[in-house]
Amino acid sequence: MTSARPLTVLIAAALVAIAQPARGQGTRPVLTTRADGTAYGCLVCHADKRRAFVQGVHSEWGIRCHDCHGGDPVALEVGPAHAGEFVGAPDKLQTVEICSSCHADPDQMRQYGLPADQFAELKTSRHGQLLEAGNRDAPTCSDCHDPHTTLPSSDARSATFPTNIPRTCGRCHSDTEMMEPYGLVIDQLEEFRQSAHGRAIFEDGNFAAPSCIGCHGSHAALPPDVGEIVNVCGRCHIDVRRALASGPHGGTTESGNVLLGCTACHTNHGTESIDSESIAETCARCHEEDDAAVRLGEQIEEGVVRAEREMESAREAISELGITGRRTSDARFRYRHALTEFRQIAEVQHGFDVEQLTDLELKISSITKGIEAAAEVAVEERWEHRLLLIPLWFFALSIAALAYFRLRKA
Amino acid sequence: MRERTTEWLRQFRDDIRQSADPALLGVLRVFGLLYGKIDRDVPIDQSLRKSWNRRLPANVNWKHAFGGIAYFLFMILVVTGVLLTFYYRPSVDEAYPSIQFIVSEAPFGWLLRDMHVWAASLIVVALLAHMARILFAGAYKPPRETSWFVGIALFAVVIIFGVTGYLLPWDQWAYWATAEFTSGVERIPLIGGMIAMFMRGDRLVSSATLSRFFALHVIVLPWLAFGLISLHFVIIRSHGIAGSEHAPEGEGTLFYPNHLMRLIVVSVFLIAVVGTLAALFPRPVGDPATPFYPPDDLVSTWVLVDVTIALLRFVGPVGVFVALLLVAALALLPLFDRKPETDLRKRPVVAILGIILFGGFILAWAIGHQVTVPIGSDTIPQELLEERALPPEPAPDLGGETGAIQSGGEATEEVVE
Repeated sequence: MTSARPLTVLIAAALVAIAQPARGQGTRPVLTTRADGTAYGCLVCHADKRRAFVQGVHSEWGIRCHDCHGGDPVALEVGPAHAGEFVGAPDKLQTVEICSSCHADPDQMRQYGLPADQFAELKTSRHGQLLEAGNRDAPTCSDCHDPHTTLPSSDARSATFPTNIPRTCGRCHSDTEMMEPYGLVIDQLEEFRQSAHGRAIFEDGNFAAPSCIGCHGSHAALPPDVGEIVNVCGRCHIDVRRALASGPHGGTTESGNVLLGCTACHTNHGTESIDSESIAETCARCHEEDDAAVRLGEQIEEGVVRAEREMESAREAISELGITGRRTSDARFRYRHALTEFRQIAEVQHGFDVEQLTDLELKISSITKGIEAAAEVAVEERWEHRLLLIPLWFFALSIAALAYFRLRKA
Repeated sequence: MRERTTEWLRQFRDDIRQSADPALLGVLRVFGLLYGKIDRDVPIDQSLRKSWNRRLPANVNWKHAFGGIAYFLFMILVVTGVLLTFYYRPSVDEAYPSIQFIVSEAPFGWLLRDMHVWAASLIVVALLAHMARILFAGAYKPPRETSWFVGIALFAVVIIFGVTGYLLPWDQWAYWATAEFTSGVERIPLIGGMIAMFMRGDRLVSSATLSRFFALHVIVLPWLAFGLISLHFVIIRSHGIAGSEHAPEGEGTLFYPNHLMRLIVVSVFLIAVVGTLAALFPRPVGDPATPFYPPDDLVSTWVLVDVTIALLRFVGPVGVFVALLLVAALALLPLFDRKPETDLRKRPVVAILGIILFGGFILAWAIGHQVTVPIGSDTIPQELLEERALPPEPAPDLGGETGAIQSGGEATEEVVE
């Protein structure tokens, strides 16, 4: 063992020399040496981890292997290096403990502007409860956050970046085998991708739209309680929540049961959009066909459909104006006004206020009629152009007749 | 008073007779209102009468009208084009609004613009018909080969006129048709990139392209066209109309009134036809040009755009190369076919070449006109679409989504401007 020591040191020195920082790393800290200039022993065996680690935010802030794994980083042999409170591959609970040793400490987190409540939140979540119960399926910190390449959520490579969150959650929640014992469905991810929220995130890059954590929370992940659904959705859809609260669906049933809230009509992950022509049909899912509620739904449906047609006609009129070379800025401005009113219908219909709906419909109609009138003028003018053909052909035929008579005379 | 006026007018006519050089009648000849040489040894009125009393060769008939029709269409293009430049402003910010002004506010601006558009297509058809007659009649053969070459050059000038003019409305259709055309040019081996760069003045169709296309369209090409037309006419006059050498002397139709009356009737009818097409089928105004996305559909408003799109999309680079070779063979035909034989049945190669070219043109025109999908709309990789696994979003209307009410909440963000 003693004779092998110089050789080990030589190899270690060679590895340290080879393990130069990757190109483009700039001023990032180098893991090959410690602050006091001594060699960093972990890399003698774990050089493969270095590349991943230097890309992470922990590396940037000077966190090193031994800060999480313990052991002696100066030692160049396995025995001494792994001595003491060394944790090689922490299990799930140990991972939570290691991470929370810093991340649950406000004093340490303050300097980075990070919250220190993740651990407390995790304990309230279903994931945390399962973890504490020793469940091996439940995710620990490193299942969502790469333990070595730990990246902030603002980094597009991070598993917690908005567009990556659904896939991160889906790693477990789309796994049939894993979800089966818990009786959980596995189609959330696919449903979410097709939903308005999913399209906003994936297609429009609109990160204000909620991913999984927007409704369920992240570290405190739990499905919202039935009574909480309206509040969860209402965090973003504020006006709709207010309108809903003012209507018959805003309270509880006569028997005191809490209504299903938004998901009763719109489902949860798929955020099903109710087609304007299916409003009454949607009411009939819960209410009897001959119920007054369905009649009310029909009234609302008719109003919404009429307003939609008005908007459609206005759009066609603007297209017509454009094609005929008319300036459309005024019509577009007025269309925007109509659109503002039209959007309110989406809110008003949740309060089942037919009177207000009719008011909005009339406002929309008066604006769109103005746009259509402008387009009609353009179309009429275009038609009037054809009247020019009468003198034109009269002239042409007259010339032809004169020429004919002149030629006959010749 | 009446006598004094009559006397003054007589005096005025006599002054003109005595002072005006008969060579001034050359101006009328430029417009096709005279035929043959002008006698400069007699007063101008006698010279005019003498010219009008000339007879056209007996072999001249309606088949010979296509050249004149093309020329008159060119005149329509010049007049409407000059009037359009009174209002048109050649910059990316102002071109589109100025077109809107022309078609919706300027007095008879719509008529000028749509007559210009239709005349630009009809002149190509007229020139092709004229070329077909010359080709099949063997009128390109010596000594008229120079006239043929000048005619081919004129046809090329008309094509460049069309290409440069097509971009000027600066709407999506104009922009993306030009982008597709210049991309096609770019694919020519070795020199394509250089030519495309020269055409565009930039890596993509931009303000630089608009400026140089406008300059070519209204400054360079008109001078070139007038020069070539004059040369074409001079050569025709020097050699006479093909076949007239065999026509019996002293026979044929009188220039006035027979030919001149027909000329006037054809011209007036041509104006009526172009005006009718302009009134019934005006060129729609597309959305303002943007390099960021292609239009939802491609609306072609020039016959050669249809032909070019058909060649680029369906025949590919090799086919375009073969088509260009055939055109080159047609252009250089007088150098190889120098025998005096004019009977088409004894010239099978020329007949086949003509049928392939003119028939192919009509076929390409018909096929190209069916294409409504702009280039670029199919360039999104399928893998990317699959990775997203999202249903295709309906095409944005009015520059953005104007979608239905999301009953589940607020409507999606809508952009109207």
